Amino acid sequence: MLSEKTGIHLSIDQGVRLAPILTNETEIGGVRLIDEQVRYSLRFKPEDIAAVRKASQLDLPANIGMSSIKGGQLVLRLGPDEWLLISDLSRALALKQTFATLSSKFTCSVVDISHRNLGFIVHGENAENILNTGCPLDLSLHVFPVGKCTRTVYENTEIILLRKAEHEFHVEVWRSFAPYLSRFFETSVTDKAQIRMGARDDK
Amino acid sequence: MKNFRKTGRGRIRRARLISFTFDDRQYQGFVGDTLASALLANGVHLIGRSFKYHRPRGFLGAGSEEANALVTFDRGPGRVTSNVRATTLELFDGLVAYSQNNYPNLKFDLGAINDIFSMMFPAGFYNKTFMWPKSFWDKVYEPVIRKLAGLGPAPTEADADHYASLYGHCEVLVVGAGPAGIAAALAASEKGDRVILADEQNELGGSLLSNPEARIDGQLAWQWLDKSLETLWLRKNVTLLSRTTVIGYYHDNFLGLVERLTDHQGDINPASPRECLHRIRAGKVILAAGAIERPLVFAGNDRPGVMLASAAQTYLNRYGVAVGDNVAVFTSHDSAYETAFDLSDAGVKISSIIDLRADVSEILLQQAHERGIAVLTGTVVCGTKGRLRITGVRVAKFQNQKVSNGTEHIACDCLLMTGGWTPSVHLFSHSKGSLKWQDDIGAAVPDMANENTLSVGACNGTFGLSAGLEEGSIAGGGGNPFRTEETEFGTGQTWQTLPTNRDPSRIKAFVDFQNDVTEKDINLAVLEGFKSIEHVKRYTTTGMATDQGKTSNLNAVQIASKAIQIPVQKIGLTTFRPPFTPTSFGALVGHRADDLFDVTRKTSIDGWADDNGAVFEPVSLWRRARYFPQGNEDMHAAVARECKATRNELGIFDASTLGKIEVVGPDAAKFMNLMYTNPWTMLAIGRCRYGLMLHEDGYIMDDGVIGRLADDRFHVTTTTGGAPRVLRMMEDYLQTEWPDLNVWLTSTTEQWAVIALNGPHARKLLEPFIDGIDLGPEAFPHMAVREGTIFGVETRLFRVSFSGELGFEINVPAHYGRALWEKLFNAGKAYGITPYGTETMHVLRAEKGYIIVGQDTDGTITPDDAGMSWAIGKKKPDFVGKRSLARADIQAPGRKQLVGLLTTDPNIVLEEGAQIVATPGQSVPMTMIGHVTSSYWSTTLNRSIALAVVKSGRAQTGSNIYVPMPEKTHEAKICATVFYDPKGERLNVV
Repeated sequence: MLSEKTGIHLSIDQGVRLAPILTNETEIGGVRLIDEQVRYSLRFKPEDIAAVRKASQLDLPANIGMSSIKGGQLVLRLGPDEWLLISDLSRALALKQTFATLSSKFTCSVVDISHRNLGFIVHGENAENILNTGCPLDLSLHVFPVGKCTRTVYENTEIILLRKAEHEFHVEVWRSFAPYLSRFFETSVTDKAQIRMGARDDK
Repeated sequence: MKNFRKTGRGRIRRARLISFTFDDRQYQGFVGDTLASALLANGVHLIGRSFKYHRPRGFLGAGSEEANALVTFDRGPGRVTSNVRATTLELFDGLVAYSQNNYPNLKFDLGAINDIFSMMFPAGFYNKTFMWPKSFWDKVYEPVIRKLAGLGPAPTEADADHYASLYGHCEVLVVGAGPAGIAAALAASEKGDRVILADEQNELGGSLLSNPEARIDGQLAWQWLDKSLETLWLRKNVTLLSRTTVIGYYHDNFLGLVERLTDHQGDINPASPRECLHRIRAGKVILAAGAIERPLVFAGNDRPGVMLASAAQTYLNRYGVAVGDNVAVFTSHDSAYETAFDLSDAGVKISSIIDLRADVSEILLQQAHERGIAVLTGTVVCGTKGRLRITGVRVAKFQNQKVSNGTEHIACDCLLMTGGWTPSVHLFSHSKGSLKWQDDIGAAVPDMANENTLSVGACNGTFGLSAGLEEGSIAGGGGNPFRTEETEFGTGQTWQTLPTNRDPSRIKAFVDFQNDVTEKDINLAVLEGFKSIEHVKRYTTTGMATDQGKTSNLNAVQIASKAIQIPVQKIGLTTFRPPFTPTSFGALVGHRADDLFDVTRKTSIDGWADDNGAVFEPVSLWRRARYFPQGNEDMHAAVARECKATRNELGIFDASTLGKIEVVGPDAAKFMNLMYTNPWTMLAIGRCRYGLMLHEDGYIMDDGVIGRLADDRFHVTTTTGGAPRVLRMMEDYLQTEWPDLNVWLTSTTEQWAVIALNGPHARKLLEPFIDGIDLGPEAFPHMAVREGTIFGVETRLFRVSFSGELGFEINVPAHYGRALWEKLFNAGKAYGITPYGTETMHVLRAEKGYIIVGQDTDGTITPDDAGMSWAIGKKKPDFVGKRSLARADIQAPGRKQLVGLLTTDPNIVLEEGAQIVATPGQSVPMTMIGHVTSSYWSTTLNRSIALAVVKSGRAQTGSNIYVPMPEKTHEAKICATVFYDPKGERLNVV
């Protein structure tokens, strides 16, 4: 049985299955589930930002509600003392070391929340519409520009919303709320496919 | 059947003749008709019976203000809608509708007997009559009254449709697409601002649709309309929403709009949503809601064929339908003349124009004369004739405030009336804007706005095409680029009850057509002492029908004002409330039904439980496996088996839903000392402690095992349901009371899947798969936590027990949860592993006397009440709730305390919640000294056990108490709360 102890012998399941209507690539867009990511909640005093940035080499956004997007790594500033880091698995080990160093040097809190959240990409020309089915924010480009992020709601779920491109949003949600959220996305896409609301009467 | 269509008039599509049925009779109409216009084209005026007196009624209006023409719209099973206004119901091929509130049929209705005995049904009749016996109200009076009172039946089948919703934002929302609204939208959208123009009707255009002769910028109204809408349509920043009712105007320019998507379509597409609720946040709101024509209050003003003059104009010009062959017009306002002239020009005979006013503009008289229409000035209608349709009116001279006795009969098949115009201030009032009385129009108009909103056109008391266009355009940020040619809107008078030469006590002059409220009812209410307009409204029910008094409110206010003798400016208006027109529940619910009613949270292991036949129960938002029945087992049998297996061999349990909070920072221990009753400073790294959390009031709020992972890091667990409120309370205290502490809180509930292994074989199963942790009993004692790996995945391994057996809780990152469960389950078969659910967990913990917060505590239990004074750090200077524990009543003797109960008959399982008394023979009501909080059959002990709270219970250990139940009073002995293994030896099985 000793061999069981080396290497990971458990399979990953993020626990959500998207309906075909979401994943089929159509011109109006859809929803993708992001593969497993590394996620950290990073908390420290706002006045330490320059020093933390220097020590960690992390691209920490300076403004609340803004983000940095570099390669496979996102850093979102969600509050005065709160940052969320999301990265693909390739940087997992490096990040672990970075945060071990930070924890020893700064008054801070680093918590691994990799499996707490799931990430969705909502994309296509219909993306704003899919999100506005349940999210009350104004998502027009001039109000919610590329790079903006915030903690908000989508119907009965709390989400974190980040605009990565004009027609591409990243949505973070707690694991057990994800099936409900994706079902709501589904209703939005189905409705949209059925009828164009506010369309002109073909008189 | 006679056809009332007029060639060359209307916007209907005459190329498409379609069929529909009303009360099982087939008729024909055109695309573009409403049910009302199509019926009128077929000469049908009788549309329904009135609410209370069952009087025959016809169409009063042509739009959403309609009070009479409520029908049942039937689109098949699950798609039947009652009380739909026939005037807004768009016609399609195959439409089916029925009249309401009549038996056996619309023409001969037995309920009309109420009309004959109407003197017996004055205002407040029900309140006065059905008072005794009191018990009759629920069972007899109310059901019968409801059956007789006249609206359509509520649907019995589930709604077959579904409903969409969207949030939206714009810089300018324009409500109403009449000329003022279109002008506002044109101006507001010029510079790229997002503009939404919404209108409740199927076509945008408002009054222009009924007024094709007017000219704007040299173009006929409809040409200008087409061109303007095309301009708006081509602007990407403009959204045009037709069939969209703005139902409510809420705080900070947040408005609810309901768009009807399919009700006008003949073919039902079940995949398409029926309606969409748009929730719009607007920078600025421009209200261009128009005005509603006001009926005149005179005897017999409710007969089929009596309708608002503007409605007749709309039926003629928009739908190409003449409302009669021989039409009389009764007015106190110039605007009715235009309708009379339009009808006359279309070849309809105008029998006469009866004008209350002695002085009428020479121009109007001249135009009437040119058309050969007789105008009777200074004349009043004193009565109408005709049962199912008006056949004539009785008029008398009205001069020097006196009505002459002589009456003249004028034959007609339709009587149009105009009593002035009421600006639609409903939405402005929703937004808490104040109103002011404007004497010249006899109506209230917007005064001070409470939101960033402007009212333009007729809803602002600004009548006439030119003035409306100008006001709209300026509100939209433009100038006034329009030149118009139009008929002068003119002026008029508003009246209360009209003078008559008949005995006022013997006539019925209706104010509120939908609720059958007459002028007499309002006067009676005032006579009986109701002086506030809000009280008059409720007593008479005027303005309380589904139309919310759109056509009646101002007449009612003016009649009440006269009766109370308070000027109308001071009497005020009743409150306007959303929705503007009746709204389907479906639109408000949207997709939040069935599986989307609320979130059902599932753990990563839930799928395995589902595959293996688990029965689930909801615990806060989570669903949890309650037990795993095998074969034909019921819950009792399954739980007995699960309990036995766990005590004797090995049980596996999904504990993932436990709340988890990571408390991190140099002040973590200090913070924990303040939040929990227990002391934390000396807790060693790698050790756990049971933590008890109180509310400020000193009562138990939550509990859980807390492990210390580092000097500055605690892994806190909470109850499943308590997780959100514990984190919220922690954050609340941290941010408001102790912002100086360097500590942060992160919810990790969903980061970790938690598998609890309980039973003598737990260690043996686990050992081979764990790396980096010595599981030996000395190296890893009870109430300890270690970090290592299991199957190569990082784990936080707790040695804790909620069952009293040797126990481990394995935390792994959530996405690995099911895979780990399956590996352990398969390997555990060698040890007789048995999955168990929450029910078994409850029994096992009760056998050990472990409390469940919220079951054995109820928000009034202190730590001492629960026998947990040991959990209080006596030397700590402060913690949440400490001060309250020193209060006199918390310290007082005689409080309820948690105890164990053993029934004298071991087979009796007491009912949870049952009351406890000291002696059995008391007379009812007995003196209750406590109640049962937990009660189970214990397979382990082969008898029942219970936990209870009893006044001074601990001091009574060994004595008997009694539990009176309906069939029998049970006897039980008070005992200690720990029923099984009181020394805790089983925790240390090697």
